[in-house]
Amino acid sequence: MAPSRKFANSGRDPRTPSPSRLDGGSSATSSPERPVGPLSIPMPPEDREVIKVNNANLTELKHALDDALKRYLGRPDLFKQSYLHTDVRLALGWLSVFVAAGTALYGYKVEFEESKPLVWVGLLSYMALSVIQSLYAYFIEGNIVFVGRRKTFSKRIITERITISSTTTPVKKSKPPAYSLSLHYVRSTSGGKSLLAKGKTQSHKGYNAFFDGLGTLDQEKFEQWVGGLVEQAMQGKTS
Amino acid sequence: MIWKGLGLITNSESPIVVVLSGSMEPAFYRGDLLFLTNPASEQYRTGDITVYKIPGQDIPIVHRVLETHDLVQKKKDKRAGLPVEQLLLTKGDNNAVDDIDLYRGIKWLERKHIVGKVRGFLPYVGYVTIAMNDFPQLKYALLGGLGLLALIQRE
Repeated sequence: MAPSRKFANSGRDPRTPSPSRLDGGSSATSSPERPVGPLSIPMPPEDREVIKVNNANLTELKHALDDALKRYLGRPDLFKQSYLHTDVRLALGWLSVFVAAGTALYGYKVEFEESKPLVWVGLLSYMALSVIQSLYAYFIEGNIVFVGRRKTFSKRIITERITISSTTTPVKKSKPPAYSLSLHYVRSTSGGKSLLAKGKTQSHKGYNAFFDGLGTLDQEKFEQWVGGLVEQAMQGKTS
Repeated sequence: MIWKGLGLITNSESPIVVVLSGSMEPAFYRGDLLFLTNPASEQYRTGDITVYKIPGQDIPIVHRVLETHDLVQKKKDKRAGLPVEQLLLTKGDNNAVDDIDLYRGIKWLERKHIVGKVRGFLPYVGYVTIAMNDFPQLKYALLGGLGLLALIQRE
């Protein structure tokens, strides 16, 4: 019932989100203040660029879909992307570059025997930073590609947080390589103290469903799929 | 950083060097790559092949040790882990005379002039470095290529 209602609304006026959703009047399956889902905010065709990637490179395919996902969910009125993981990795990376450059310069200027203690310090700090960076990327960041927050002000301040991870399953016998998304969604209010909704969705689809033979991405189809998953998670379904 | 780490572990300023002249033939030819270590507890002996640098000269020289004279080590130097002070005289295998002219005034080499003792070598590989020194454009081309690769790659 829910999917057919969405398509009817978007046919009416593609520019503005349907007002009934914001009032929440006709919504039967969710709370009256349910915020807008991504499917109801259509993307105007002028914003689209043609995306073409190398079909044979799985990494490129995954990155293309990850980027399309970030663009789709990062639009105004939708989630605001949190760059925490990127920032931490960048900070660690830049720090290790500075340590390496400083150590190299110091070793160049000062004679070998004198320079040894400080070069040891530099070497060990560089190794520590590199190890921390790898551990952070492996354990804490993992497969996460998008972390978004949104605050809507209807009657109360509703905060939503969504975390999306994506993985690629390579080709197996006759099954095409697949892109699997797992979303974790939390809606809360009063500064995160009272939980309104929580949802976890997981789904996968072959890359061949989104990319054609030449490597062009069918953005609308991908966005429909992602939007559907996000709205599923927003409804508090666990699948 | 790997180079610096290698230098620290081998206790040598320049643990990998390239042979530039033919003064050690037939043991080493021009273009060979040499691997050096310089442990502080090492006693250099006649017959060892060492790489040394005369202060004021840029280029290190790789020759064989002809004579050594060990000096008595002070107790405090031993505790500090400093090497036993030795006086060394070297000569290239392919040279007719010893290196006394190359020393530019000093009579003996001391431990502080030694970059390291040769442990192993790879033939011909050093020609890459010789080429890059003779044709600096190669060096810049390599650096440019590496920079480009770093920019194009993602993560």
